[in-house]
Amino acid sequence: MLHALRAEWRREWVQLRRYPTEMLSELVVIVLVFYGLFLGASYMAGKAILGGRLSDIIVGYALWTLSLMSVGTMGWTISNEAQNGTLEQVFLSPYGAAFILLLRNMASVVISLLFTILTLFSVMAITGHYLFVSPWDIIPGLLMIASATGLGYLVASVTILMKRSQQLLNLLQFILLFLIMSPTATLSGPWRWLAIMAPFSPVVALLRSMMMQGAALIGTGNWLLWSVVNAVLWLLVGLLVFGWAQKKARRRGNLSHY
Amino acid sequence: MRVTAMSARRPMRIHFAIAIIDNMANGWYSRDAEVRRMLLEVGGLVKRYKTKDRQIVEAVKGIRFALSAGTILAFLGPNGAGKTTTIKMIAGLVRPDDGDVTVEGHSLSTRSGHALRHIGAVLEGSRNLYWRLTPLENFEYWGGIRGLSRNAARKYGRELMCEFGLEDKIGSTVQQLSRGMQQQVAICAALIHSPSLLLLDEPTLGLDLDASDRIQDYVLRLAHERGVGILLTTHQMEVAQTLADRISIIQTGVLTLEGLKEDVLARFTGSSYIFELAETPSAEARLRADNLGAAWTSEREFRAVLDRPTDVYAIMRALEPCPVVRVMRETADLATVFRAHTRQSVPAQGGLEAMA
Repeated sequence: MLHALRAEWRREWVQLRRYPTEMLSELVVIVLVFYGLFLGASYMAGKAILGGRLSDIIVGYALWTLSLMSVGTMGWTISNEAQNGTLEQVFLSPYGAAFILLLRNMASVVISLLFTILTLFSVMAITGHYLFVSPWDIIPGLLMIASATGLGYLVASVTILMKRSQQLLNLLQFILLFLIMSPTATLSGPWRWLAIMAPFSPVVALLRSMMMQGAALIGTGNWLLWSVVNAVLWLLVGLLVFGWAQKKARRRGNLSHY
Repeated sequence: MRVTAMSARRPMRIHFAIAIIDNMANGWYSRDAEVRRMLLEVGGLVKRYKTKDRQIVEAVKGIRFALSAGTILAFLGPNGAGKTTTIKMIAGLVRPDDGDVTVEGHSLSTRSGHALRHIGAVLEGSRNLYWRLTPLENFEYWGGIRGLSRNAARKYGRELMCEFGLEDKIGSTVQQLSRGMQQQVAICAALIHSPSLLLLDEPTLGLDLDASDRIQDYVLRLAHERGVGILLTTHQMEVAQTLADRISIIQTGVLTLEGLKEDVLARFTGSSYIFELAETPSAEARLRADNLGAAWTSEREFRAVLDRPTDVYAIMRALEPCPVVRVMRETADLATVFRAHTRQSVPAQGGLEAMA
């Protein structure tokens, strides 16, 4: 299995290295888009009002790009491999397609994380606002990636059955943006369950309290526990649905004739 | 313990080594030891599809056959007969509604991971290569997701490329290679984990003669010298005739003929005729001859397999007013056999002609 993980990582790395201009232009575009977003927000809200929200925007943006990458990779991989004609070979792996997709996702996330870190530093340098990022932040980050992987399996399930998922991914971009940017942690009563069960909600609440209020990982109420429950739940749901979708696609003969 | 490339390439190799040791007294490798070993057993495969108007179509109807090590089985049939569906069921890409596939004793439905370790495939209309990567990088990837270490994949990949005479192309990206070279690299990639069963769907389609010959030579060596079992589908009858040890013909989802190539050809020998005409016949006359099984080799010459010698007269009448100048009996080739066989009405399920 380690050989498979290394193979995925090498494939991603070789493709990045082979086309460095593509990689650099992608990075520049991301930084510029974010800076444009920041300038736009400053113009609309006024610098004084925006001041305290800037960290929100930076953290939210970083999370949004990372989770989007994680959610989209599997669906994109399936449709891209199908178009390239290599999908059938991926399904011929004795490790199973779900595992290969997971490895592909992990490799993409690591690369996306490097991009995100570079973007964060660039944006912090441009705006002059610096965030304190503790090593403990890795844990909520991992939980968020686990939830995103679950959603990724769901998107992959749709792709494998319907053969296209671009519109779904477009829609998901906005839903994820809403879930990450909205303060669901303040909801009470029955709505609190929404904050707990909706993908990313508890982990975003956890990260916010850690990064902006300086709270310790353990001392964030039950958000750490709910984040773990949420991540495991979405990952399991994603895996189960993908297993079912694979069977159905094989029964229908969907893995070919793209 | 460091596993070497050869030992990592699993039981087939080990078995092969044992076969070689068994035959050391003779000083040569005997194929017989490998031939006895059953690689693939296809048991009563059924596949039904639902059409857009919700009709159930039975694409494959209880197909049953086996393939032993070191044997090339040409799986032939007209378009839409169920060849590709069957191959994809064997590769685990399509789930059968009934029946099972066993590869090296592992059932594809219950132990798919184990079964898939023994399968390599080059499927029509699909690729097993990333075009932006070099052949060697492709081998590393496809070997890696089949459990092979980077070094083992690189080492064996180089050997395979050398066998195809493509060692100088190792550093080029796949997109820089010709169509024929890409197909040869695709075969190398399918073999990178040393499968004991290779599925080849139209391996020489659209290739020039040189590339096609290289692939055919390699496939023959792979089966007869290394004991790999090969299931081949093609519409190129001359390729099938060159490569196959056994022939299977599938029609409308039913296996209608199965046997050793020599037996299949012998069945039609003596009833195959070459007709030479004095002039090019009219389109109508040509069509009438076609309906009687004419397989044209040129404007004025065709082959036909006849049930009775007296059917020669029926063909001559069909060609009128074009005069026939010569009629010769000949040994049937696979194309003629295929035409003659598929021209007959398709038997009901279970109507298999087994020949040896």
